Amino acid sequence: MSANKSGGKLSLQTKRKLQPYLYIAPVMILLLLAFGYPLIKSIVMSFQDYKLSRLDKVSWNNFKNYIAMFTDKNFLLLLKNSVIYVVVAVLCQFLLGLGLALGLNGKFKGRGIYQSIVFLPWAFSAFVVGLLFRWSFNGEYGVVNDVLLKLGIIKDKISWLGTPGLSLAVVIMAMIWIGIPFFGINILAALQSVPEDIYEAADMDGCGTFRKFFTLTLPYIKPTIIMTILLRTIWIFNSFDLVVIVTEGGPANYSQTLPSYMYTQAFSSYDFGLAGAFGVLLMVILTLYALIFLKITQYDKAGDF
Amino acid sequence: MKKRVVSILLASAMAVTAFTGCGGGGGSSAAEASKTSEAGSAAPEASAASEAGSTASEAGSAAAASGEWSREFEGTSLSFLDVAPSDVRTSYYEGIFQKFYEATGIEVEYQSVPWDDAADKLTVLGASGTLPDVMTTWNGWLGQFTQSGWVIPLDDYIGDTASEYTDAVVNILWESEKTRYNHIYTVPDGLMVKGIYVRKDWCEELGIDLDPTKAWTYDEYFDLVEKLTDPEKKRYGASFRGARGALDPLWVYLQGYTNGATFDQEGKIQMTTDECLTAFNKWLDIYRNKWAPEDSINWGFTEMVDNFVGGLTGTLINDSEVAATLISGMEDSQWTVMPMPTSEKDGKLYNTINAPYAYTISGNSKNPDASWLLIQFLTSAENQAEYCQATGEIPIKKEASGLDYYGADGYYGVFLQEMNDETLAVPTSFGTFDFTDLHQGLFHEEIQSCLLGDQDAKTSLDNICNALQTRMDEYMAENPDAGIEVALTMNGQ
Repeated sequence: MSANKSGGKLSLQTKRKLQPYLYIAPVMILLLLAFGYPLIKSIVMSFQDYKLSRLDKVSWNNFKNYIAMFTDKNFLLLLKNSVIYVVVAVLCQFLLGLGLALGLNGKFKGRGIYQSIVFLPWAFSAFVVGLLFRWSFNGEYGVVNDVLLKLGIIKDKISWLGTPGLSLAVVIMAMIWIGIPFFGINILAALQSVPEDIYEAADMDGCGTFRKFFTLTLPYIKPTIIMTILLRTIWIFNSFDLVVIVTEGGPANYSQTLPSYMYTQAFSSYDFGLAGAFGVLLMVILTLYALIFLKITQYDKAGDF
Repeated sequence: MKKRVVSILLASAMAVTAFTGCGGGGGSSAAEASKTSEAGSAAPEASAASEAGSTASEAGSAAAASGEWSREFEGTSLSFLDVAPSDVRTSYYEGIFQKFYEATGIEVEYQSVPWDDAADKLTVLGASGTLPDVMTTWNGWLGQFTQSGWVIPLDDYIGDTASEYTDAVVNILWESEKTRYNHIYTVPDGLMVKGIYVRKDWCEELGIDLDPTKAWTYDEYFDLVEKLTDPEKKRYGASFRGARGALDPLWVYLQGYTNGATFDQEGKIQMTTDECLTAFNKWLDIYRNKWAPEDSINWGFTEMVDNFVGGLTGTLINDSEVAATLISGMEDSQWTVMPMPTSEKDGKLYNTINAPYAYTISGNSKNPDASWLLIQFLTSAENQAEYCQATGEIPIKKEASGLDYYGADGYYGVFLQEMNDETLAVPTSFGTFDFTDLHQGLFHEEIQSCLLGDQDAKTSLDNICNALQTRMDEYMAENPDAGIEVALTMNGQ
């Protein structure tokens, strides 16, 4: 039966065209509600005097929040801390995660149990990990100082959480510890999908271990590595929980990052306008990062053999 | 392939902004709620409710005196939120609400939120118009809560019953609220006075004789801190507070040079003098001279108390509520309490008297009269005594504070001695404006920067003073008729 003959009904061709959109409509609606609305709202708020406790006095303030953000005396320190935090944490997580995956890729007795144990940190909440590190690195009673003293590595207790530089290092260590399994799991999955026969062919051609790794293994797992690094960078850059729990950004903001500062601003004075400005800045930074990263790593060509 | 890249970018962008936007989402739903808040903030309406409630107040008061409580609201349900739950408090409230039900027929639904999340939770509840009928609140939140109409005035409810309360409640706490917010909004759950906890056993070892009945100065306190410090024995003189709240005791010390005020009657800040700067430096020397552990730059309340109880530090400046922890965690022979030092300038004892938490009726309460009856029940002399002994606070009712437990020889003797000191003056707060964000950030960050040697003491003190002055100027421009706080005394002068 022709659609035209049935008056207002859609033609089969139109229905077929619409079909995919209808399938994805529920998800798109949910995404728009859950992400699209907050995204637009946070951009709007960043141009407003928006205090949660003074909702009767919400008004446009042009670029006041952005001026306050860029002229904040801590801004450069926060930016520097954020970059150090992300670069060191992602790099260490990647290298250690890669080592872990290569180790677990071989067959050995008890691999299943060992695998379950080393992946455990990923299952812990950041709150638990934060408290664990906070107490372990306590300057007076912490187990870290105790061990280092007993091993004769240090002579006096170190004030890990009270010394600029060290306090951020503790947060970074916590972040590395919690994130290694994510890299490990993903890279291990990629390694297990590399066909065995190419290694056999390489062996016949007399390739050494390093050459096989760099010319065969790495290209095969490159898409996974790129995607994992991209995701972890975004997550770590946005994360503030460990900073808040381990050091509260102290001392004197030396371990504060942009998101943790944003959190402090948002929930100490309920100034969602200023927090919105920080949120927009984070979005711009991460969008630029993602674009440049994908371009440099040639993600669109990765995995093409 | 480009689609793949674009989709990744979109996902990234969404992930980033969802972070901040979620907060705003809450705020948006709160927009409607602000209407409720506005209604709540209208003092006349609240007063009208209070007037209606005054009947209940009188009835409740009379009933309480005769040992029976009004059953006028039998069958009513109330919600109650505690912002500082602990085993002791939760157990107390569950028991007392059962008693309240038996006495009045009013059922109370008990809710709680951990202290660390309490401010956020109440703010969200307030903004969304869903606050419980009665809630415990902290004095530092009142600026925000009264401005937003999240709590209602209690003046009319309290009425003649004010005479049942101690002078500290009437002449200090309520007087301060009237100056700052024009009304009384809270009934304290108990009282806290600051004192200096000292390791008695360490002093005896060193031959230091301390007499809690005699006044002493801050310089004498600093001497004691120095003498108690012994790196060989891993002993430090003071539990120094470097993190959030670091400025609180230091500010009271500085107010000893400004007649207990933060601002003069013209609204100009008073702490920019040389003598204040000298005092500021002396205080920070506790840390810089290594009389406190290096880690203490990041210490808050928990670390201060833990390290005093644990035997690392020899003195601890804190509220009387800490006594309960020491009673259970230390031997009586190990510790004692000294009064806060007096001002070197005028010899007065400047010390804060606070309510740890206070009962308030929310602007969203549908039954403020029944809510007031609940507050009356909770603060009746008998229930107050039980509550204060469990939590380590000092009662707010005259009848309850006369118990032996609070006598001169009791654990709280020194605190009551301070409250009865003729020279006692309770200094002002940081200001009548909302300073929550400064308290959670700038204050201790400036102190930490100085302790780390990033800037000198003058810069830190100037930055703190400038921030407060800016806030005060804005407040006075918005509220030209607002009163300026002055230090208060027990006799109301």
